[in-house]
Amino acid sequence: MHKLKAIVYEDDIDAVIRSLGEAGVAQIIDLREKLGEWQGVLSQYAGSAENAAKCSELLSRIHVSFEALGAESEELPIAGAPFAEGTTKETLATVEKRLAELPVEALRKCSEIISRVDQLAQAFDVKLDEARQAASREPFKESFEEVEERLDEIEKGYSTMGFADRKLFVDRIKTLSIDEKSQLGKKLMEVKRFLTEQQETMAKELATLRRTVETVQQTLEAETKISEIREDLFTLQKTAEREKQVGQAEEKLARTAKTIYLEAWVPEEHAKQSVEIIKKASNGNCVVADELASSSEKTPIVLKPAPKFLAAFEKLVFSFGYPAGGDINPVNILAVTFPILFGIMFADVGQGALFLVIGLVLTVLKKRIALDKVGDIIRYLLISSEMFMLLGLSAILFGFLFGEFFGPSGLIHPVSLGRIGPFFIGGFEPTQEPMKMLRFAVLVGSLHLGSGLVLKFVNEVKHRHFKLVPVPLFWLWLLFGGLYMWAFWGGISNISKWFADGSLMLVGFIVLPLALVLMSTAFAEGFMGGLGFSVEVFAETLSHTMSYSRLMALGLIHSAMNYLFLVLGGVEHGYFPLASIPMIVIGTVLVMIIEGLVVFVHTLRLHWVEWFSKFHTGEGIAFKPFKIT
Amino acid sequence: MDPGLTSLVGITLAIGVPIISAAITIIICGNAMAGVGTEKPELLSRLIITVVLGEALAIYGLLIAFMLLSKLPSITTIEAAYKALISGAIIAVATGSAGAGISYCGTSLIGATAEKPETFSSNVIGVVLSEALAIYGLLIAFMIIGQI
Repeated sequence: MHKLKAIVYEDDIDAVIRSLGEAGVAQIIDLREKLGEWQGVLSQYAGSAENAAKCSELLSRIHVSFEALGAESEELPIAGAPFAEGTTKETLATVEKRLAELPVEALRKCSEIISRVDQLAQAFDVKLDEARQAASREPFKESFEEVEERLDEIEKGYSTMGFADRKLFVDRIKTLSIDEKSQLGKKLMEVKRFLTEQQETMAKELATLRRTVETVQQTLEAETKISEIREDLFTLQKTAEREKQVGQAEEKLARTAKTIYLEAWVPEEHAKQSVEIIKKASNGNCVVADELASSSEKTPIVLKPAPKFLAAFEKLVFSFGYPAGGDINPVNILAVTFPILFGIMFADVGQGALFLVIGLVLTVLKKRIALDKVGDIIRYLLISSEMFMLLGLSAILFGFLFGEFFGPSGLIHPVSLGRIGPFFIGGFEPTQEPMKMLRFAVLVGSLHLGSGLVLKFVNEVKHRHFKLVPVPLFWLWLLFGGLYMWAFWGGISNISKWFADGSLMLVGFIVLPLALVLMSTAFAEGFMGGLGFSVEVFAETLSHTMSYSRLMALGLIHSAMNYLFLVLGGVEHGYFPLASIPMIVIGTVLVMIIEGLVVFVHTLRLHWVEWFSKFHTGEGIAFKPFKIT
Repeated sequence: MDPGLTSLVGITLAIGVPIISAAITIIICGNAMAGVGTEKPELLSRLIITVVLGEALAIYGLLIAFMLLSKLPSITTIEAAYKALISGAIIAVATGSAGAGISYCGTSLIGATAEKPETFSSNVIGVVLSEALAIYGLLIAFMIIGQI
């Protein structure tokens, strides 16, 4: 990992950041926290605040225009290429100018006026369609402002001429006596005629206004192609968004009086390219230094991307922590061990096959559904489609070993893969012979922990910590020595024999490796550090191995829960009566959801705590290049 | 005491106490998770471990109760009945203490992760070690049942 340090003239910094963002090869270092180290030479670069406000304003205006056109920006299939003119400020000014030139505003105004005319007509109780025939066909001369003024006048007239009081007027007439009415009759007729005349004039006028505005709208629409406006708007939106991202990245920089100071992490293969980009974008108004990162610094790490079908396992590893520099990335190994541990706890041929089918269906769906258009849970399911398949396969395999088909139904006879000393690999039913299952779980746990220690060994070699290289080897000796003793003396219940008949073995398998661990860590880190570490090694070896007995516990629980539904359904000796199917369906759904989740989390925990604590600290930082999207 | 009744008391302990401790753990951790979820929903997929480990306590109790239940016809002597009672009491105590540990460490883990997500990997150890306590109890209870 290279560290670029650059000093750029302030007018060119926008172009430099923009070009770096387009290339997407450099991670800009946040200098704000380190300003103290420079003792006042550098101050925070705050020039971007104004631009940020401008960007937000322009973006919201563009958004309003999109809405006026009745189009969502996301629906656009076209890709408008953003433009750039020197600094962010200049670019934003151009965006604003071009936005004002677009006829969108005028079109919006037209529809606004038309709807206002319609509202007025409704309030007046006039029919515009009838008045339309009488409306004059004068060409449109007035500006929008004049049209609006005219509308205001009409509205004012509406309230002064007494249209609004008409109801009051009618009510009052109703209260009059017949004599008074006949006296007033003539006058009333006059008023009525006057009002009707006024109404007709108004209607005519309104219709005229409406027609003229409509004509304008039509000509505008004819002259401009909506699609073109949309394309322009889209380009402007892209440009403003890009400048916004540039502004956000610039917040991390520091400045002197006239120059901007910039630091960035760049992978080795892109170092030269990035230097060129900075030089070119700043027209040479810059000083660039390309250094190797010093060993004391925490550099971000670029990992080889895992194969795409392991994406779910990658997420599981990285949500614990990113591998530290030079450490092994455990994703590929986890993709093997994770299904195995899951399969032991979830051993079942039938339910494993269901998992496999679910995985296949999800894989097919994943190709058809856009991941960003579905909810959280569905997205997680889609991402982990391949994981479901692997988990299902493993469950099927262990289902054959333990003779489980929708629980211990007796349909499948347990298949034995052999026997190592007291450890039986398959060939028994866990519910019938739980001790065999416990031994199997401890064996698997020791092997899993052993693989973690081997990885620790590789890590120490890679880091050239030669003083610590033997520690994982001694630890392996302790782990498998202890396992051998446990098996040899027939379990923990005969522990008294360990100290009597087996005292030599105890020294060779437990005391000696512990002493060696103590010596080698004391040699590297001092006596107290070594002592603390060896106590930790002893305690961890015991408690972590014991922790794997949950393989047995959860395996038994899985089997027992299924057994419950088999009994309720009346399944006996591998014979499934037709009436048992609804019960088994209910049981399977329950077990696969609740039990599946619990088993999954326990598998995860075995990896995160017992396995990762051997070799994966998760203290690394991922390399996230600044990239304009 | 009657062997049948004594072992039934054991079964009651084995299923009752773990369920109560699982419920308390889920109530406490679920509450804290809901609070964090309103601010940082992207952390929930990691923090769900506290609730699920709490739920597992009930499952351990279920396992012991289930095994005792299957042994029930063969418990005829008072000695065997005491073994059943004791194994139920062991899993009850173990899951109770594991539940207390998960509730305390779990809420702290949830709060701390909301502030600083990078501390999750070290803080989660408190939760999972508390949960391991239940496993130790489970193993011993299991071995006692094996002797009935």
